[in-house]
Amino acid sequence: MNCEKCQELLSDFLDGTITSEDRATFDAHLEECIACAGVRDDLGVIVSFCREQRGEYVSPPNERAMWLRIRNLIESERDAEAAKTASASNLIGSTERESLWSRLTHSHWDISLPQLLASIAVIAIAVSLATGFGMRRWQGQQAVNVEPHANAQSPQAALMSLDERTRDQQLAIDYWNRRIEERRARWSQQTRDAFDHNLSVLDQAVADQRQQLTVNPHDEISEEMLNDALYEKIRLLREFSDL
Amino acid sequence: MTAAETGTTQATDYELAQRAAQGDMQAFEEIYQRHNRRVYSLCLRMTQNVSEAEDLAQEVFIQLFRKIGSFRGESAFTTWLHRLTVNQVLMHFRKRSVKMEQTTEEGETPVQIVQGTENPNAMPVVDRIALDKAIAQLPPGYRTVFVLHDVEGHEHEEIARMLGCSVGTSKSQLHKARMKLRMLLRQQKQPG
Repeated sequence: MNCEKCQELLSDFLDGTITSEDRATFDAHLEECIACAGVRDDLGVIVSFCREQRGEYVSPPNERAMWLRIRNLIESERDAEAAKTASASNLIGSTERESLWSRLTHSHWDISLPQLLASIAVIAIAVSLATGFGMRRWQGQQAVNVEPHANAQSPQAALMSLDERTRDQQLAIDYWNRRIEERRARWSQQTRDAFDHNLSVLDQAVADQRQQLTVNPHDEISEEMLNDALYEKIRLLREFSDL
Repeated sequence: MTAAETGTTQATDYELAQRAAQGDMQAFEEIYQRHNRRVYSLCLRMTQNVSEAEDLAQEVFIQLFRKIGSFRGESAFTTWLHRLTVNQVLMHFRKRSVKMEQTTEEGETPVQIVQGTENPNAMPVVDRIALDKAIAQLPPGYRTVFVLHDVEGHEHEEIARMLGCSVGTSKSQLHKARMKLRMLLRQQKQPG
């Protein structure tokens, strides 16, 4: 056995996975070769030192501050969701509307020219924003009625079955894939390489988790990881579809 | 004073998770208190960067709150959280590469010599701070496999599944990582 082969086997030796056949020639080489024995000793120290460190945890720089940030973010997310729900379901009472309308129509309006122009400008901006927002929503609905992030993360998503969730995600992926196909020709070689590399990593992750789920269909961690991988794939496609 | 002595019983992680899933922030805070060091340490080991680790740990707990309702108690909570954390860090690495950082496949970075720290004579090759610094010098691909295998104790099969690579790649990257660490640690001991 030469030094190169011996050093290739060092990790197998340290992890206890070296075959008995290799072990004999490996040991024989180490008895003769001080350099390889030195490498074995050094790696042994590194590996055993790391193993001793297992289970030792360090605290974040400021645990309390981190908790407060987390709590604030969660609560503001919940507040935003609650506000969204409330605005969708709360219809203004007709009597209230009537009184507001009657107050408006019965008021005496005395507006100067600059005020009138400013009001027109504000209305024009509001209309253009509303149109832009409406177009975005319409385009969003084109993406097969799936808002991938919201779906992947919302509490309802947790209640959806895995099949339903992955089917929705796949529809979103198909949509963004079509967008990518349209734009890919305009990318630089570097962009294409970066995209292909990342996509292959994510596809592999998706395939692995699917494989896991065929072996154990109720593995909740694999379900979670599949969900995350699909979510990341949608994100990747969406980010690159803008390039 | 232990919980038994005070006559109180500590809620299990599963019970706390159930309560947190119903929106109980006190229960979620208790989960945070129990596990934040574990999560932060893992993020720190994988990124070797304090502020990145802090941001990631924070993101892990926010994700945890969103997903905690899907924890069904079939596996240990710590295992579930551990994988959630690893997944979060890996996604972070992927996002970083989406931003087209100029790294190679294995994320080669220029080797810098780490300076000796505590007591270089106490151990022939390694001490804690020097090792941490040397790990920080590893290319991200090597570092991830090294931390998952040698520090966190995952098997190659599991690492391969997490990283979406073959077992052979995981083994080969681990070996290269160990050899590179040895080189970095030895360089620091050389005078001048």
